Amino acid sequence: MRRVSTITVAGVTTAALAFTLTACGESSTESGGGKSKGVGLAFDVGGRDDHSFNESAARGVDKAKKELGVDNRLMTAKNGETEADREQRLNSLAEAGYNPVIGVGFNYSKSIEKVAKDFPKTTFGIVDSVAPGNNIDSITFGEHEGSYLAGVAAALKSKNHKVGFIGGVNNALIQKFQAGFEQGAKDTDSNVQVTSQYLYPNNDKGFNDPAAAKDKAKGMLDSGIDVIYTAAGLSGNGSIEAIAGQKDAWAIGVDSDQYQQPGLEKYKDHILTSVVKNVDVAVYDLIKSVKDGKPLTGEHKYLLKDGGVSLATSGGFIDDIKDKIEAAKKKIVDGQVKVHTSP
Amino acid sequence: MAEPRLPRSLPRGECAIKASTKEPGTAAPAVELAGITKRFPGVVANHDIHLTVHRGTVHALCGENGAGKSTLMKILYGMQKPDEGTITLDGEQVTLHTPADAIGRGIGMVHQHFMLADNLTVLENVVLGAEKLHGIGNKARAKIKEISDAYGLGVRPDVLVEDLGVADRQRVEILKVLYRGARTLILDEPTAVLVPQEVDALFDNLRELKAEGLTVIFISHKLGEVLSVADDITVIRRGTTVGTAVPSETTPKQLAELMVGEELPSPETRESTVTDVPMLTVDGLHLSATDSDGVVRAVLDGIGFTIHKGEVLGLAGVEGNGQAELVEAIMGMRTPDAGTVTLDDADITKAPTRKRREDGIGYIPEDRHRHGLLLEAPLWENRILGHVTERPNSKRGLLDSKAARQDTERIVREYDVRTPGIEVTAASLSGGNQQKLIVGREMSHQPKLLIAAHPTRGVDVGAQAQIWDQIREARREGLAVLLISADLDELIGLSDTLRVMFRGRLVADADPATITPEELGSAMTGAASGHLEHTEEPTEDSNEREGGDSE
Amino acid sequence: MKRLDKNKLILGFAAPVLAIVAALAITSIIIAATGKDPFHAYQVMVDFGSKSDSQIWIVNKATPYYLSALAVAIGFRMNLFNIGVDGQYRIAAFFAAVVGGKLAFPGIVQIPVIIIVAMLVGAMWAGLAGLLKVTRGVNEVISTIMLNAIGASVIGYFLQDGRLAVKEGNLIHTPYLPDSAHFFEIPTQPKPVYGFVVVAALAGVAYWFVLNRTRFGFDLRTVGRSESAAQASGVSVKRMVITSMLLSGAIAGLVGMPTLLGVSYNYGTDFPTGIGFTGIAIALLGRNNPVGMALAALLWGFLERTGTQLEFEGYAQEIVGVIQGVIVLCVVIAYEIVRRYGLKAQQRKVGEELAAQAGNSDKAEVSA
Repeated sequence: MRRVSTITVAGVTTAALAFTLTACGESSTESGGGKSKGVGLAFDVGGRDDHSFNESAARGVDKAKKELGVDNRLMTAKNGETEADREQRLNSLAEAGYNPVIGVGFNYSKSIEKVAKDFPKTTFGIVDSVAPGNNIDSITFGEHEGSYLAGVAAALKSKNHKVGFIGGVNNALIQKFQAGFEQGAKDTDSNVQVTSQYLYPNNDKGFNDPAAAKDKAKGMLDSGIDVIYTAAGLSGNGSIEAIAGQKDAWAIGVDSDQYQQPGLEKYKDHILTSVVKNVDVAVYDLIKSVKDGKPLTGEHKYLLKDGGVSLATSGGFIDDIKDKIEAAKKKIVDGQVKVHTSP
Repeated sequence: MAEPRLPRSLPRGECAIKASTKEPGTAAPAVELAGITKRFPGVVANHDIHLTVHRGTVHALCGENGAGKSTLMKILYGMQKPDEGTITLDGEQVTLHTPADAIGRGIGMVHQHFMLADNLTVLENVVLGAEKLHGIGNKARAKIKEISDAYGLGVRPDVLVEDLGVADRQRVEILKVLYRGARTLILDEPTAVLVPQEVDALFDNLRELKAEGLTVIFISHKLGEVLSVADDITVIRRGTTVGTAVPSETTPKQLAELMVGEELPSPETRESTVTDVPMLTVDGLHLSATDSDGVVRAVLDGIGFTIHKGEVLGLAGVEGNGQAELVEAIMGMRTPDAGTVTLDDADITKAPTRKRREDGIGYIPEDRHRHGLLLEAPLWENRILGHVTERPNSKRGLLDSKAARQDTERIVREYDVRTPGIEVTAASLSGGNQQKLIVGREMSHQPKLLIAAHPTRGVDVGAQAQIWDQIREARREGLAVLLISADLDELIGLSDTLRVMFRGRLVADADPATITPEELGSAMTGAASGHLEHTEEPTEDSNEREGGDSE
Repeated sequence: MKRLDKNKLILGFAAPVLAIVAALAITSIIIAATGKDPFHAYQVMVDFGSKSDSQIWIVNKATPYYLSALAVAIGFRMNLFNIGVDGQYRIAAFFAAVVGGKLAFPGIVQIPVIIIVAMLVGAMWAGLAGLLKVTRGVNEVISTIMLNAIGASVIGYFLQDGRLAVKEGNLIHTPYLPDSAHFFEIPTQPKPVYGFVVVAALAGVAYWFVLNRTRFGFDLRTVGRSESAAQASGVSVKRMVITSMLLSGAIAGLVGMPTLLGVSYNYGTDFPTGIGFTGIAIALLGRNNPVGMALAALLWGFLERTGTQLEFEGYAQEIVGVIQGVIVLCVVIAYEIVRRYGLKAQQRKVGEELAAQAGNSDKAEVSA
């Protein structure tokens, strides 16, 4: 049977390949066109409802819709994507006429760079990375500065003088969070013990694996750590859930003000504060600029001093240490304290 | 259905030796199969089978291997559905969909391979799946005792099955069937695993059952046994019933010829071809293995023997006494702890299996499905198996499928492998034809030593004779043969020298010219050792035991 | 024989046709259950998939998939489940990228050196699992999964700024390969096809030749069909386990090469993951047949290409994943059904022919 089927299969393949390589005149990019349909947004893994990074970007889009009447199309990355997948996603958006096209997450930096060249009339935005190109708006944040303040708050609130950091994936971006947090904690309380751990060494699944974060957080709690800062996108929910299970333990959220999030309502009494990364502001700025016909391009840094990052105060859990945090903030803004970007 | 059973007029002009004249009153037969036809893949289909079994008798169903006996019994036990024909039990025509139907109608089957859980007690094995009958406690235990005593089975309910010998396990199987209320028992080749003494004990049990009014259908191809225990005999050949016989008026030879349809072959070797040139020398072989309980045991201990050119050394022994391990040690599939193996003056103790094969060991394995064939591969690939490095199968590391195919055609022709072609899978051949292919393959590379483990097991009589001929012929040409067989007649008939293996040791030797299967049997159970001398006894028993060695 | 061959032909077609029809039916039901029109979805997929840039994209995507499937299939052919292709290709690509980034030979030396390093590292990584299996009896499924995790950690350790990697914005990757290490491209329009597709095709041919035409391949297949028969026939099963794991790992080492030598020119945090697992699905789908796997890899690429478009058209993003899963299941089930049916049919045929022969000879005996 094997013999016969090999031959038939070979025939079919040859035919299929011949079709593949010859019968195609038209390319998909040639058949698109039309005027702008609004903003096209490509999320990183986790999707819009990650209660964190992506959701923050989505808020900017929602705001644009409400205030500027700009339509949108949101697409989401899958685990284990390749460059080709990302390029295709951006390509589809650009080709369908969306403008601007925004890639949320540094994973999109190379694909944005490539696709932007093919669509010179479209404005592209990349969050958390810098990509060269005349029609690209590179949006980055001072995560390390925000994280420094989180470190200050953690050190002040920890009864055991033990604080922890959980990163989703051990990459340069998340290391910025770690570095700021560690520095902030140490500067505040020289006796504090900071434990920093990552969920995955180099797999983006780290942003999409709440179960792993939950385990990690439990491990930290068991070793007496009572304030945990988690920078891991959607995975952070798991860590917050674990912390909420223990009395007197605090979680520090990331990217969005997680105290306010309906999805985390149950645990909000344990959310000390969040390092808010105002992705929504940046996204909104970009959309507005395109709408106004003066598209932003080049590098845009959203730092502590511009309100690009901040420490959330919802819940009032850090009201008692407000002064110390303000003092720390002032030092950074004034340049007295230089926050490291890598540990 | 009270009409007297007369010999059936048989479809193809075959004749019955003698009609069964015994008429047990007017009761309906316990089992009556009429016109049963079953088209079944691979083996000979059942075709227009007629079988009548009277209550309170032992009815033997005999025929050579592959004649369709087992298929027929599977039909009766509800495991297979016949394509045509009717089944009538106690005068009522029935359709059996599953074994459960059959059990419900009082039919029980004792399979050739026991279906017992080793790590459970006898009681647990018996009640397993029949918990509703008498519970699982003392009531069940009492019932088991009752059945055991009634039929003299001597079963102890609280022993672990793994501690029981083969014969005891068989009795547990029988009890299991009786416990479920069987009135008709089917025993599929029950003697295949027993030594002669155990066979006698089994027959005593069967007589007890009969005396209590139960019916036994006894499947066998061993004529001596059939004649000694059965009240009626039905013979099957090539899937159809060819006649019935009454034991008291039939000789083994007549029965055998009815079974085979021709003169019965004999495994006897006539002239001696033994030389004094040693071909295989095994010395001081010792092998330990860990059994299922994690205990290290010696499975081979101090094994030493020499096979000369032109000599057949027969190894007798109840299965599981180390024969398989010995073969595997000689083949290089197991590494012995001590001892040497010398083939044709070359020490091969350390040689890998492939080297040993290339050096001229041919191997007919005991379990052809596990060790001899690739069931899902075509015949020509099976022809390559084991000889991939040798011509005509390959040249310079590359397969020569053309030459291999051609040579497969030759083997199919010369060894009479019945197949429509060499592209069919080995699985689609019947057992006998698979075995012929293996023999043909192993003989095609001019072996110096042939290891033949049960070479004719599950092989029809025609093929059996052929395989014996091939062994004899190769022996004349100087082949040394290590023959292992459970068929004592085959062993005695073919061998120049006999050894008996018991618990991993060679405990006895005997001269095949004079020894009887009984004498060999007692050494196999460990009852005798050393050099076995034949003692003259009334010869009736030994001549009748098996049809094969009738003069 | 003629009739038998015709049956074989019909059976050969029956399985794929059965599988495709069943898969289409099931996915149609699923899409319809999400409240969308399945036929429009197929329309979109076919339209979009047949665009020239889509086809190039599909071929490029299918190339590593195919190599991965080959690596898995080598194991499958001898009943080994190398689940660790994923870890093998990543660690192989990583070290190949490190070595390639440090050397600067002309392309004719540089490229082979990188490829050989990748194959060696992949082979070693897989060989560990083989070694564990034959010496300690560790099941290769367990050990290769563990080695995947260990491999990821090893990469994670070295892939840090200042160790073996450099930082570029938020991305960390090994230093770029010199230009000489860029693999050739096939200049198609609008985008080029990776030249590595040629290597993949050659690997497919080599796979077929070694398995079906050499003694070694015969031994390997023998072990796959029956370990006990293989041992009795003189194959050293242990050595075969190690050899085939080494081979499987070496092929796995090639999986990352189209990306490394054709796209990224470095190994970074964004290097594709999971291709090893996709390879398992494709090997299953292609029935370990070199041509079948090529078709399966293309089909996979087609589904992924058109899946994004489906999302664009408002279909659920997960639909493509569902389709892929359904297809694999359908194919596996369909082939098993057809295989069993074929075996039965063959046995029946042999039985009938022999019964007919026997019938003839019986008559001859009677009349004689």
